[in-house]
Amino acid sequence: MPRITEEAKQATRKRILDTALSLFKSKGFEQATTRDIANEAGIAAGTLFNYFPAKEDIVMALVTVALARAAEEFAKQKREGASLEEDLFLNVSTGLRRLKPYRRYVGPVLETTLSPMVASASNEQAQAIRVAHLERVQEAISSHGQSLATWTIAMQLYWTLYTGVLAFWVNDSSPKQEDTLAMLDQSISMFVSWLKERGNG
Amino acid sequence: MSLSVAEILEALPRADDPDERGLSAEATRALFEKLSKRPMPTGSLHRLWNLGDVHARVGIAYLFYWIRSWFKSTDARQQDLVETNLRAALKLLEMMGYLRGAVMKMGQTLANLKDIAPDEFTDVLEKLHFEAPAMHYSLIREQLCSELGGDPEELFDEFETEAFAAASLGQVHRARLKTGERVAIKVQYPGIGRTIRADLRNLTPLLLPARLTKDWENVKAQVDEVRRSLERETDYEDEARLLEKARDLFTEDDNILVPRVYREFSTARVLTMQFVGGVHIHDFLSLNPSQEARNQAAELMMRAWYRLLYKGRMEYIDWHPGNFLFQDGKLGLIDMGGVWCLNDAAFDTMLRADHAMQTGDRNDISDFVRHWCEIGDDPSDQERLLKSVEYCEHVWKARIQPGVMDFGDAEDLRKTIDLLAELTKKRYTRGRSASPLVTRWELAYRTMLYRLGAKIDVHPIRDEEVKVTC
Repeated sequence: MPRITEEAKQATRKRILDTALSLFKSKGFEQATTRDIANEAGIAAGTLFNYFPAKEDIVMALVTVALARAAEEFAKQKREGASLEEDLFLNVSTGLRRLKPYRRYVGPVLETTLSPMVASASNEQAQAIRVAHLERVQEAISSHGQSLATWTIAMQLYWTLYTGVLAFWVNDSSPKQEDTLAMLDQSISMFVSWLKERGNG
Repeated sequence: MSLSVAEILEALPRADDPDERGLSAEATRALFEKLSKRPMPTGSLHRLWNLGDVHARVGIAYLFYWIRSWFKSTDARQQDLVETNLRAALKLLEMMGYLRGAVMKMGQTLANLKDIAPDEFTDVLEKLHFEAPAMHYSLIREQLCSELGGDPEELFDEFETEAFAAASLGQVHRARLKTGERVAIKVQYPGIGRTIRADLRNLTPLLLPARLTKDWENVKAQVDEVRRSLERETDYEDEARLLEKARDLFTEDDNILVPRVYREFSTARVLTMQFVGGVHIHDFLSLNPSQEARNQAAELMMRAWYRLLYKGRMEYIDWHPGNFLFQDGKLGLIDMGGVWCLNDAAFDTMLRADHAMQTGDRNDISDFVRHWCEIGDDPSDQERLLKSVEYCEHVWKARIQPGVMDFGDAEDLRKTIDLLAELTKKRYTRGRSASPLVTRWELAYRTMLYRLGAKIDVHPIRDEEVKVTC
């Protein structure tokens, strides 16, 4: 029996994700079953489960890809001389842009993987997203000359605000989700004010 | 609006109130530092609370405190008064930076009263025109992408990441289109328009305690007119339409420029206009212009106002310094947010006013006042009629009396405000629904020409504009 190359595995994985995204868009997340996705992708249902044990894992994979691209965009768009508020805002807004195609169905998945209530090690991909995001936050804070003795508290506070903004965004019915931008701006501003007070104290 | 005056007068700060005295340098610095940290709330209730608290208690109450203090003996209270001025101005500035939007209009009106109001007060408030708290570039980028469908780098040949001016609902950035034109792009803070509209809808219920008074329907009509006017200012599509209409009214020979709108880069929340060069009134005056140059600037402003009114049927209400640019004997009119569009009935009423001004006859003025203020034959309305006629005769002096009017006469301007304060205190405010808008204009235009120290004859301007358009 010929071995499946890594290249072929990645191609199949990508085909599953593209197909799932297309079906989520056309049928809706709830209506699109894993069987539909497998059929549309031209693979057996069992094969699909080898890659993604549940439909939510497919969404998480889509989120991971989207946020990885957002991280690249963040690095590219970061401006010399920008304020800490601007850098932190950009870190989130690039992510929201990339997540936009999944906004209607990403909520429950984010809730069960990224929520501050969830144990950090429960989902490997979610944990990787969290670590990468917080590393960028810490780097931004440090590059603006802010140092903190208690990173754990600062990062927990930040993550709570961040996931709060995500939850708000998922359900935001304002035109073009403009309220999310205001919410994010104010959340970041509040966090940076707190940070500076702690730093000065 | 006038119904809250009695309450406000009661709540005025007293010069002997220990809380209102002795603002230390440290407290002043701390207050300024707080300005940069306060984000703008977009939650309606939060804003409403702030509007009620600050706009009324500090803004309006202070205005009346200030007016009232003119009637007291001076000297002894001078030091306390200056400190109270500064304190109130700083509080107002703090909250206006926080709220921007509708509340900023209040500060802009007050800041025009240079030299009439104490210097410390107007110096601080004047910063509101151009130094509102900024949106950083990441937020601007998102707002532009959301509204125009692309990043600034994709949409424009050049885009200045730092704002060059504050607008009451956001800020303005300079840019260059890919086709080469220099433009000014006005960007609204996300959600602020909807929030202001929601706040304004919440204002009417606040007036409900006044519903049993005899002027209730009139007060409500006036509040509704102000509400509609402010709501229009939140819609840049509406402003784009008015800019285009106004631009068509002027030719190159008029030396009055209204910027072109670039519709393909404009929405309800983003307005892209031709960049107009020039300086605002503060910088214009700092160059110590000749009397002739001041007069020329004032004449251009009056001509623009008459042209918009007669040919365009638009009354340009919002005469605050940020809306006018002066350069080489030319005038730039760069904001059409505060415009009252006149229907046929309103235009006829304005013609009646013009007729009364033209004849200067007291009977004609009384007839107009009866019509405008809805005064019948009730003997109890006689004082109202007399006081209103006195006010009109004063504010229309530039039209009633022949020749040049010295708009730089501080006593004359002070009397305008005294008369207005007296009418307001006596609650003689019943009138056409547009009364608050027209009063706002009367005060704003007089104070702007006062700052210019203009000595001009408005009759030939009026005659030329009426002849051409009526």
